[in-house]
Parts: sequence; C-alpha cells; structure tokens
Amino acid sequence: MLFPTATFAIFFMIVLPLSWLLMPAVHRWRPFIIGASFVFYGWWDWRFILLLAGSILWNQLMAVRIHRSAGMPSRRKALLWLAVAGNLGVLGYFKYYDFFVSSTQNLATLVGLDVPLEVRTVVLPVGISFYTFMGISYIVDVYRGDTEPTTLEKFAVYLSFFPHLVAGPIVRPNELIPQLDTPRSPRRVDTSRAFYLIAAGLFKKVVISSYLASNIVDEVFADPSSHSSLEILIAVYAYAVQIYADFSGYTDIAIGIALLLGFSFPQNFDSPYAATSLQDFWRRWHMTLSRWLRDYLYIPLGGSRRGRALTYRNLLLTMLLGGLWHGAGWTFVAWGLIHGVGLCVERFRRERFGTKPEESFTRWDFYWRRLVTFHVVCFAWIFFRSDTFELAWQMITGLFTRWGEPSPLVTFPVLLAIAVGIGSQYLPARVPRAILAGFSRLNLVGQAAVLALTLMVTQALGPQDVAPFIYFQF
Amino acid sequence: MAVETDSAGEARRRRPPRPATEDGRRLASAGRALAVTALALLLAALLNAQNIYKSVYNQPEGTQREVALAFAGPLREVSTALRLDRPRAWVESAIGREHATIDTEIALPPPPPAAGTGEPAAGSGSGSGTGMPAPTPQTGGTPPTTTTTTEPEKPRRERFTPEQRMRLWIAGDSLVITPGYAVLRALGRNEAVERVGDVDGKVATGLTRPDVFNWFKHVDEQVTKLKIDTVVFCFGGNDDSGSMTGLPDGVDLDGFGKPKWTKEYRRRVGGLMDTANQAGAFVVWLGLPITKDGSQSRRWKVVNRVVQAEAERRPGKVAYVDMYGLLSDDGAYAPYLPDKDGQLVKVRADDGVHLEHAGGDIIARQVVRELRRVYDLWSWQRRG
Repeated sequence: MLFPTATFAIFFMIVLPLSWLLMPAVHRWRPFIIGASFVFYGWWDWRFILLLAGSILWNQLMAVRIHRSAGMPSRRKALLWLAVAGNLGVLGYFKYYDFFVSSTQNLATLVGLDVPLEVRTVVLPVGISFYTFMGISYIVDVYRGDTEPTTLEKFAVYLSFFPHLVAGPIVRPNELIPQLDTPRSPRRVDTSRAFYLIAAGLFKKVVISSYLASNIVDEVFADPSSHSSLEILIAVYAYAVQIYADFSGYTDIAIGIALLLGFSFPQNFDSPYAATSLQDFWRRWHMTLSRWLRDYLYIPLGGSRRGRALTYRNLLLTMLLGGLWHGAGWTFVAWGLIHGVGLCVERFRRERFGTKPEESFTRWDFYWRRLVTFHVVCFAWIFFRSDTFELAWQMITGLFTRWGEPSPLVTFPVLLAIAVGIGSQYLPARVPRAILAGFSRLNLVGQAAVLALTLMVTQALGPQDVAPFIYFQF
Repeated sequence: MAVETDSAGEARRRRPPRPATEDGRRLASAGRALAVTALALLLAALLNAQNIYKSVYNQPEGTQREVALAFAGPLREVSTALRLDRPRAWVESAIGREHATIDTEIALPPPPPAAGTGEPAAGSGSGSGTGMPAPTPQTGGTPPTTTTTTEPEKPRRERFTPEQRMRLWIAGDSLVITPGYAVLRALGRNEAVERVGDVDGKVATGLTRPDVFNWFKHVDEQVTKLKIDTVVFCFGGNDDSGSMTGLPDGVDLDGFGKPKWTKEYRRRVGGLMDTANQAGAFVVWLGLPITKDGSQSRRWKVVNRVVQAEAERRPGKVAYVDMYGLLSDDGAYAPYLPDKDGQLVKVRADDGVHLEHAGGDIIARQVVRELRRVYDLWSWQRRG
C-alpha cells in the first residue's frame, strides 16, 4: 500500500478512529495495530506477512534467550552471533543471492572455472532491509544491556508498526517501545506538525521528485551518450533533488502519520544539501541509518579507538557496507566507496591541519564548503543512479565533452524544481515555525480547507501515476 | 433561554486554550485530528472528483471498479453541481495540462490488401521524402525465431545520411521503455538517425483501453506531425484480459483469446500499423517477452500471435521482433543471460516482467538488424 493513494487514505480513515478508540485500553490497541500493520504490508503480497512474522518471532526468541544467559558471556556472544546471522541470512537470501551467484560465476568464468550455481530471481520483499536492521538493533541493545526484552506483543508493534515499516525511519527500541507502555494522550496531538509533514512530504514526492524523474533524470541516465554536457550536469543535480524529495518525502509522511496516531519518530533528514562536509552530510542525510551504521557497525569494528590505520579501515568498511545495503550491485559499492574515501580524506585533513569550529566559519567558508560537499555528493550519486559502470562513465565523460550542443531537456520548470528542492534546505527554521503556529490557530474548517487545497494543487501538478518510492527497493 | 445562551457562551469563553508546544504550535485533541483529516479528505475528493472518476473508470473490470464507480459517480456530480471542479481545472489550464476527459473513440484507416497482391504500399512518404523502405531478403546470421520473415518488394534499401536523416520514434506501454532507450543508445552516435522526442512509454496503457490512454489518436497525431520514418512499438502487456472499451456498435466480446476478442484485437493492432504505414513510417513491433509468471507468459503468447500475424500481412512495412524468444533460455524464463562477451548479466527486472539495461541491449541489437535489412544507415560513413 503506497502512502499517496486512495487505498491508503481509506485504510487510514478506518485505522485512525479505531486506534484512538482502543487507545485507552492499550492491551487491546496493540493487537489491533499489529493486525492493521499486517494488512498494510500484506497488501503488496500476503506471503510477505509470513516473513515479517518470522522475523518478529526469531528476534524476540533470541532476545529473550540472550537476556536469560546473563553471567554466561560466551553463550551470550554465541546467541548474539546466531541471532544476527539469522537476520542477515534472510536479508542476504532475498536481496543478495542473485547478485552473489552472478558475480561468482563471472569471476569463475574469468579463471576458466564452472560454478554450478543457478540464479533464482528471488522477489525482494519491500522494506526487508529496514525491519531487519530494526531487529538487529533490538538484539544488540538487549545484548549490551541497553534495553531489556519486552513482551512479544510490544516487540511485534515495534517491528511492524506500519508508518515506518517499509522505508523507515529506522527507529531504535528505546525510542518506540517505551511509547507502547502507556496510552498516548488524546488531548495533546501535534496535528499541525503532522499535517505539515504529510502535505510537504506529498508535495516533495508527487510533484518535485516525479517531475524531475520523468522530465530529465530517467532520460539522461538511460542514455547519457545522446545528451549534451549541460543536460548531464542538470540531470545530476536533478537526481540529487529527486532522491532527496522522494526519500525525505516518504519519511515526512511516515512521521506525520505516526504523530496523528500519537507517536513520535526520530527526525530522518535535516537539510542535507546545506552540509559543510561529508561528515556533516551524514549527520543530516538518512540520519537514522547513519547512527545505525555508527552504533552497530563502525563502533563494534573499533571506531576510532584503535589507531589511525584501523580508523580509516573502519570508515571505509562501514561506508562500503552502507552502499551495499542500498542495493545488490557494484555501482552501490562504488557509491559507498566514494563516501568512505571522502570521509577518510576529511579525517586526514582534520588530523593534519586541525579543525576549524563551525562557529568561526566566515561566509566564504560556508559557501565553498557547501559547494564542494554538494558536488562530491552529486558525483557519488552518478554511480548510485547509473545501472552500470559503463553508463556512469558515459555520464562523467559526457560532463566534459559535449558543451555547446542543444539541451532541450534543460527547461525553466526543471530548473525551478531543482531550485525549490535545494533552496528549501536553506529556509530559516523560523519560516516553517511561523507557518505551523499560524496553521495551528486556524479553526477546524480552515485547517481542513488549507489541507484540501494543498492536496488538490499537489495532485494537479503531479503526474497521473505516482511511481513507487525509490527507497522501497532498498 | 437567554440565561442558557449566556451561560453557554460564558462556558465557551472560559474554555482553557488548547495546550501549545514550546515554539507556539497549539496541540489538538484526537477527535479534532480525526475531524480535520476526514473533512480535508472529503473536500479534496470533491476538488479532485473529475480525476478520481477518470482513474476509477480506468481500472480493470471487476467488483472493485463497480464499487468505486458507485462512489465516484455521485461525487463527480456533486462536485460539478457545486462547481468545485473549477479550481483544479484552472490550475491544470495554467500549467497547460488537459482536464480529465474520457475518450474511447478509435479511428483506424482501412486495412491494406492481403499480402502478395502486388499493390503498392499505401501512403505517400514522410519528411525524408522517399516513403516506405524497400526491404532486402533476410540475411544470414539471424536466428530464425527472432523475426517474422518479410517478403522483399524491392531489392534496394533506402539510404539515409546526415543530410537526410531517418526520423525515429519509439512508443508503447512500460515494456518499451528499457529496450527503447537501448535502441537510442545503439543508434545514438549514428548521424543518419534523428530521434524524435523521448521514448514515449506510457505505463499501464495498451490497445484495449483507449479510455485510459487513446493510443490510436496519439499515434495518428504523432506520425503525421513529427514526419516519422521509423517507429518502434511495443503494446500488449496490459491487454491480456477479456474486456475492451471503444468497441464499435454491435460488437461484443467473448473472452480473452476467443474468436471475437481476437478479431477485434487484430483490428486494433493492424489499424495502428496501418496508421503508421500510411503516414510513411516503417514499423518495428516488439512482441511481448516471456515472464516469470507462466500463466502470464501463455496469455502474452496469445497477444504475440495476433501481432505476428498482422505483421506478416504487411511485408516490407512491418517487422516483428520476437522478444519472447530472444529473452528465453531454451524456452524458459531467464533472469540472467550471457551478453555479447559471454558474461552472465541480469536481463530482467526483479518484477519478472520488465527488462534490465542488458536485456534492452539484446532487443536493441535485433532492432538494428531489422533496420539494416530495410535501410542503409551506415554507408555515408565510408564516403570520405
């Protein structure tokens, strides 16, 4: 079930009142919301429900067993590895099996071997990467003693809660499970923020992202050799805006829907294209994934505590695996590698020349740092978006070799959509704050009218069919 | 009564303000959240009623569509009566977009005489001036399963050069997009080829539902306006059901693949080929590929048989490319196939239906072979 569809609107108009009606008796609310979440997920394919239920049972079983093994460190560690391997095994089978087989066969062919493995075209269940990571969070937090195992029912809500289920944000156990203990207050719903996030998310997805995809990005990335340097350059900027609008739009809607149900999720984006370094970018882009990679991969690998060389290795490894998380393809690995190398270079520079605190940045410092960071990020997006290295290379060489050729795809609406997508990230925080405060003071009919008009304009400006969110495939 | 009114008013005045957040947003009750959501959705439904009706109307036949129409119809009437459909029409008109209308009219040219009658090709030629190409006999090196054999009409292939370029247009449903771009890539550096616009792939459309998108009208407009020499078509992926809209008066259907259905579908496929041919364009029609779903593959074979038969009726004017065979591995669905260097590459998308980049390249190579049979697009490179 996609958020910007009539099906979801009907689903939500049934779930929202029932959720609040059942909320005072939270023990009744929990089975209800698990059922609703399973319906939401099973709408794609009912078999996915079995996988989700299996993930819930496996992680809960292992968390309880780890907790009960207090005082037996080797057993706890063995159980932890088993639990994580179970999660990664399922993810690996569904997401990486074919990639592994084809890569192995191609490598074997190069050295004259025949590997008797067959590709199976496994259907990738939507959202599997997200709830697998949330399951691992729970297991590791229980192992570390950061949280205690909760009940099966609460864990099932934590893992399957439909607002975050298919594309995040990746919510940590201690952020959501405590909210499931007591009924949410029906008198303190942050409706204005919820509606703002939903409306802004829909606009970003339906208008900005879809427009740029269909009017320049898809065409140029499909066949870079037929496009001018200017078209390629603008297509790269457009993709940077498209993926931001698409993914942040989804998580805005998810956070807004959770707010209407009385729950708060962590922020997932914070103006990433205003970042002044790659490190800063990763504090602002897909923030819940960044901290997951930091806390469950980079730090367990040793972080920066084991010397300079190992720190660089850990940075590279974390970003490489972060790239592979996004997709089973070598272009995603290249994307991770670019970010990993970039972070290493920044770290080396800081260690060698010292760090200038952001408070002491001049205006010029902000300009050039943002410009350089944005362009490194855009360069990496070329690999992320290109289907093959050959096409990525055509994009890069095309940036320099065909200036002066006609550029019919570079139109005013395309440039406007890019400007809106990037410019919105430089909007002073007081502007949305003032809009929200003003909206919250409107009466009921006024709020409904503003929302309805926003929905109408979004629909009118958007394409007839809304493509699935980019991050569903991850 | 007056006392009651006064005390009610006073109670309202004394109602404590809604709680607020630190940055000044007022919080609301769950009831208010629900009321605003419901009212906003209702208003938005009225403002978008015409488009909601159209998208419901365009759904496949079935109970879901019937139920949705039962709501969407009255909603549209209320919206029209209250003139709430006007704001969206203004917005759409401001951005130059057509307001939602449902058009099922199918205007097709008369079919050509049967193959082998010796009559000249219909149509008087395109912007390139020479009209339909004259195919040469099928050359060696091409698997016999990949194309429909077309009898030669003239021995000479039409020649295109950078001065007189072949205008190429690619159109169809979502299945045309990846191979379409692959064709553009394959011919992209050939200065004798001029691409006309982007790949015109429209998702979830076909020839059975002109109410969703009227391809008959669109193709007729485009081939005339754009003066096209060659068009690559791919249709049928959404046509494997028993229903069609835009049927002529007195025509009814008897189910997918049955005689009446086949007759009407042939009329549409053939009509589209004739529309392009009569405007002077040579047609390369991509058949549907084998898919992961066996029953879907069987249905698509039915569609392919119709297209192939119609292509054979138009020798020298239509070439049929057998995507089904080209993307099979010994007749079975194959997500990975060897590329031209023998490396195993992913040719099918994860949905088991659409093509990956490398799959498109396989099809594009066959399209280029077809064009090589009927056109000379390369000899100009040797002249200097």
